[in-house]
Amino acid sequence: MKIEYEHLNVILQKFKANPYKIFKVNTIHTGYIRDFLVKEGDEVKGPSGKWLEKPGTSLFVLEREKNLKTIRAHINGWVQNLRTDLLNRFVEAEETILEIKHPLSQQEIISEILLSALYLVKAPETAKYVLSPGLAAKIEKEGLHKVKIKKGDELLIMTFMKRETPIFFEEDGVFLIYNIYFKPFQLIERGQPLIGLCPEEQLPYLEKIVSRIREEWPL
Amino acid sequence: MKIELYKTLKNLLETATYIRDIKGEDFFEITSLINKISEVYDNFYQYEPSYLENFVKKTKEQLDILLDQGEKTLTPYEIVKITRHPQRFTLQDILENVYDSYMELGGEGEINIDPAVVCAKAMLVRKVGDEIFFHQVMVIGHEKGHGEEFREGGSAKPWGNEKALRYMKMAETEGIPIHFFIFTPGAYPIEDYPGAAQQIAKNLYHMAKLRVPTIAFISEGGSGGAEAIGLADMRLMAEKGYYSVISPEGAAAIEAKIKDGRPPRELVEKCARSLKLTAKDNLRFGTIDKIIPEPPLGARRKDCEFFKRLKIELIRATDEVILQTRSIKFLRKYAVSKQETENFKYYVNWDLDEDEIEILIENRYKKYRKMTQWAVHENKTLFKSFFDLGHTISVKLKNEINYKILKQGQKTFKKFLNELTSESTLLLKPVSDPIKTVYNLIVGKKTGPKLITPSLQDDDIPTYVSPLALEDKTITCPQSEKYSCPDLWVPDLYGEFCGVCPNCGYHFPLEYKWYLNNIFDKNSIRTFNDEITSTNPLEFEGYAEKLKAAREKTGLNSSLISFEAKIGGISLIAVMLIAEFRQGTVGVAEGEKFIRAIELAKLTRRPFLALVHTTGGIRIHEGTIGVVQMPRCTMAVRDYVDEGGLYIVVYDNNSYAGPVASFLGSAPYQFALKSTRLGFAGPRVIRETTGQDVPPDYHSAENALKRGHIQGIWDRRELRKKLFTALLTMGGKNLYYRW
Amino acid sequence: MKEKILIANRGEIALRIMEACKDLGIDYVVIYTKEDVESLHVRYAKEKYRICDYRDMNDLLAVADESGCTAVHPGYGFLSENFRFARRVVKRSRPLIFVGPSWEAIRDLGNKLFMKKLAKDLGIPVIPGTTEPVYNEIEAELKAEELLEELASLGIQKPSLLVKAVAGGGGMGIEEVKSLEELRPTFRKIKAYAKRLFGDEGVIIEGKIPVFQHLEVQLLGSKHGEYVHFGTRNCTIQSPHKQKRIEIAPGFSSQETYSFDPNKVEKEIIDYSIKLAKAFNYDSVGTWEWLVTPDGKYYLMEVNTRIQVENEISAKISFIRNKQVNLIKEQIRVAFGEKLGYSQKDIEFKGTSIEYRLIAEDTKRGFIPLSGTITKFSWPEVPWLTMRTHVPQDKPYTIPTQFDPNLALAIVYGENFEEAKKRGLTLLDQVIIEGVTPDGKELETNLSFLKEKTEFLYKFLEA
Repeated sequence: MKIEYEHLNVILQKFKANPYKIFKVNTIHTGYIRDFLVKEGDEVKGPSGKWLEKPGTSLFVLEREKNLKTIRAHINGWVQNLRTDLLNRFVEAEETILEIKHPLSQQEIISEILLSALYLVKAPETAKYVLSPGLAAKIEKEGLHKVKIKKGDELLIMTFMKRETPIFFEEDGVFLIYNIYFKPFQLIERGQPLIGLCPEEQLPYLEKIVSRIREEWPL
Repeated sequence: MKIELYKTLKNLLETATYIRDIKGEDFFEITSLINKISEVYDNFYQYEPSYLENFVKKTKEQLDILLDQGEKTLTPYEIVKITRHPQRFTLQDILENVYDSYMELGGEGEINIDPAVVCAKAMLVRKVGDEIFFHQVMVIGHEKGHGEEFREGGSAKPWGNEKALRYMKMAETEGIPIHFFIFTPGAYPIEDYPGAAQQIAKNLYHMAKLRVPTIAFISEGGSGGAEAIGLADMRLMAEKGYYSVISPEGAAAIEAKIKDGRPPRELVEKCARSLKLTAKDNLRFGTIDKIIPEPPLGARRKDCEFFKRLKIELIRATDEVILQTRSIKFLRKYAVSKQETENFKYYVNWDLDEDEIEILIENRYKKYRKMTQWAVHENKTLFKSFFDLGHTISVKLKNEINYKILKQGQKTFKKFLNELTSESTLLLKPVSDPIKTVYNLIVGKKTGPKLITPSLQDDDIPTYVSPLALEDKTITCPQSEKYSCPDLWVPDLYGEFCGVCPNCGYHFPLEYKWYLNNIFDKNSIRTFNDEITSTNPLEFEGYAEKLKAAREKTGLNSSLISFEAKIGGISLIAVMLIAEFRQGTVGVAEGEKFIRAIELAKLTRRPFLALVHTTGGIRIHEGTIGVVQMPRCTMAVRDYVDEGGLYIVVYDNNSYAGPVASFLGSAPYQFALKSTRLGFAGPRVIRETTGQDVPPDYHSAENALKRGHIQGIWDRRELRKKLFTALLTMGGKNLYYRW
Repeated sequence: MKEKILIANRGEIALRIMEACKDLGIDYVVIYTKEDVESLHVRYAKEKYRICDYRDMNDLLAVADESGCTAVHPGYGFLSENFRFARRVVKRSRPLIFVGPSWEAIRDLGNKLFMKKLAKDLGIPVIPGTTEPVYNEIEAELKAEELLEELASLGIQKPSLLVKAVAGGGGMGIEEVKSLEELRPTFRKIKAYAKRLFGDEGVIIEGKIPVFQHLEVQLLGSKHGEYVHFGTRNCTIQSPHKQKRIEIAPGFSSQETYSFDPNKVEKEIIDYSIKLAKAFNYDSVGTWEWLVTPDGKYYLMEVNTRIQVENEISAKISFIRNKQVNLIKEQIRVAFGEKLGYSQKDIEFKGTSIEYRLIAEDTKRGFIPLSGTITKFSWPEVPWLTMRTHVPQDKPYTIPTQFDPNLALAIVYGENFEEAKKRGLTLLDQVIIEGVTPDGKELETNLSFLKEKTEFLYKFLEA
């Protein structure tokens, strides 16, 4: 699980060459595209405010069963590949309407790089996941990097084949919850990372990596 | 000699600055006068003493003229500025100058749970002829400080008001009168425990029956914050004080519908005029009892004459309150004696015996019961009044005879259950079944009653359909992002789902008629006092039209409806504050209806339910006539609860400010429907007062429960069942259906 | 106007509805979610729309409007027994025909308690138990005590009770209680579970029938007040989670011996079923589920107001004027208001039919559903076998994880029970399902379980 410093340089170079990630904005359901509220190249913002209480930039209006729904940006970046040809047309679910070219933030770079440094709990099946209620409450209270887990602790609840199955932690040793890589109730492909863990004793090492990235990638 | 002059000059400079601050820079070239005085003051030692003497004399004369001129043209907004001026006297000055000795309790300057609230044990000396008598009093009030930031301008935090209550109770234990001093722009509007609104409500509830005489003196009476220590037997008010439902700036922001920033100056001044917040106005309205005169442009911290006067007035007021509990004859004699000087002709013992305490509390009830009643507008024919009286009496008799014990009531219950089951539908099941269960549990029957099978006729369909449901469209649940709720078909949502998202439990607002039709037994509602009408007692500009529009829109005469109804066969009195009528704001009509309803509940020994569809607070257009509904109604609440009734409040949608801080927040049982927001002040006011933004869920029902402000969160779909259980299991012994 | 049906379902039932539509000359539209793109129901459909969720009625109706459908067929599962969906379909401003019974019938018959109460009133025997939800434990205990006495008086040894969530079903929110002491904790547990999962904390208590057969009556009603039945089915063989695995029609075998007259019992349960159907003007296909005890007592359990998975075994043994029937076609015909065109006396029953549900599940470890990729799937081409499946045979198929891992329904026909059973076992030997799990292991199926259980057909089993 260790990450070599040289390897870290390679990864950082890779991100520097292309510090963007493309997010597709797909229709969440069927309906008619009634209005585009952005233009190609426009800058958009994700939810903001101290409590993320201010919604993101309005992108387009999707109407279904007389409900006009404004679809908003979940991340900041620039609009590209806007499908203006779909105006007033009926679209299916999961149709890509536009893309957001998102500049990676320091935090995101850290998060991406740590994927190769952390012990990852991966999705055992393509299914929907939520943190186990006990763990979620603990993280809410204590925050990330502080909550400890050990063998036998309930980590997640997987909704799979119409059943709810608890997922337990099976490694020896004490780990800290370092990062969470999924959104609850969304379909996660098998093998995708769900939770990033750090063995308790390796926390200082990990923090060294993080500060190294911070140096290389100022805010 | 020169030092004296220097001091005087300094005072003159202060006075001039004061005049400028109050009257504005353009007032009779006050600015150039200030510059002149400053010039002399700064270079004091370069001037000849004779010049200085002359200058001081001339300037003093000039300033006196200006003070008089300023007094003559004094506007309400200038009065507001006077009360807020750092040179105005504060409670600390009163403690120093009015009382003969004092000891501050539970705080010292900044070392204090809340420096905005000062409590002190104080002593007053009364000279009668050659004799000297000592009076102990408890002094509780706001301390604005002379510009010290930690005093928050006299805005009491929730725990500051709690501290005030603690010392009220101490005075009660010791049997000494309380002098309240109100110097507050309003309460500090935060929800941290014990919560701004809830603590004010608790204070009012307790003050309603404080067993000692209470005198209040108002300099700056900012709405709910003032009421927290304002329910007194006698209310005095400084001539240059203001007592208002809201600050003129706040009113202007609301009138101009401003979310951020400052409202225009002209609008602020107009609002100050419209709010009728001066001492004269308040005396006219009967919201205060007496005005204490002040020098031109108001008393400042060095006005010894004023303090002398205040001392006499405080002793007299206390005397009067006490004498009213004794023989009238003595009081008359006392009144005739004209206590205008420091040498009193009488000594009045401020200790009360048990009988006198009872009279004291009774007098207090009567005083507030009568307050602002002149403003109640009621189109009632003589016949109707007669009928209502007859009805009240007959209801009382009927209850006494029929329902003294549940045994009799059982029959009614069974009948109710049968009716319910026979006409019910599956949709109603979650509502009716638990009722039966509770009934069986309480009656302790081994097997349930034999039930008639529901028929499958058309009366399965509930007779009331929300008008919101009559549209073929879908809407998005506001919490869909968080809980992935599917879009809701409007006829389902506003029909069977009772306006609740079945996925996440979010409660969409529903019209008030929904509650009337779905919570109470069919055809059991009978409204009363519908004729009591909201009017425009302050003649607030443009308000009559708004009221008219509200009346036309709703067909109601005020925002509060009072009615008798049944739940599961149990008869109760209920009131409902309605969002559609001026956002459920409370004025004198609503207050009077509330009191009459709760009095009827007391008389007929029925439970009392307050449904809060929404309340936006005290209606600002009624000024302090609205504000005093807080103590008035809370008084009635206290009386009803002490008599052994059951008072339940259920909040829905948005409930804020005055009503929550008084007659609603003082209920022993307060429940909120899910998705309710409740608290003291909205985010804008909090930001303006505290400089802090609050999280979006700051006023949520969950947080209110977490902070201990309410007793539970209910689901609208279970409201009828919850209420029924509450009626059977909660409340005092004086309910007609109790054993 | 030409009718056009929105097929609001997936998998094999979507395929069967497509087939019925083609036979009837009716247009249709297929919907699918992105996980199902490989399914045959998508491949074979000309007009199809991708939607977000089979349960999202908004998407279904939006597609129905866009594609000009005049009717909706809900299939089974998903929204098929959701009375709100049925109601919205017919009440919306652009109403559609709902291929199924009236929404009122779905609502009232679908509510087990209400159905039970009504059945009781009509003199139809139901399982002893509460007819109303119980909400508090004191009452529950009193009820339980009464029930145990009642069961004992019916001659049941060691009677026990089932505590069920009113809103539950399919084996969810149900637990057995053997003694009164266990009742309160179990009641509390189920109540909390029901509140959490279904938002309704109502609980019912029923007597547990220890040994029984599960029979069901297949009915069909039309909008013209006509009622016919297509005999009975026996669905006693189920997974431990009370999910059906093997069904056989008819419900009783003439080759078995019973301690009662099976013809009489069958006639009685059919008559009672029709009686209840008439009380609702039931006008579609529907299934009335019964428990039959070894001494010939029977109790109505529930009514399924939809086409059932196992409908085809009834169709296989029912002949109208010597022509085999297709129940889905009949369901669509009556939905469009057609008359039946035949009566009960025109229906003749011949032979025996067995349905096997082929499922990727681990029968040795609690019937856990399995995910994975089917690499080979084949079966013998014989006239007595009908295979209903959405799994393609020509390329690998990854089982979507959001749905039941049902792979196929194998429907076997024989002149009599002996022949049908023999053919069933032959099929189970010859069918090939190969696949790999995501970890690269061999994918398990329930074939051996089905084989083993074939021996228990027509037997009384312990619950």
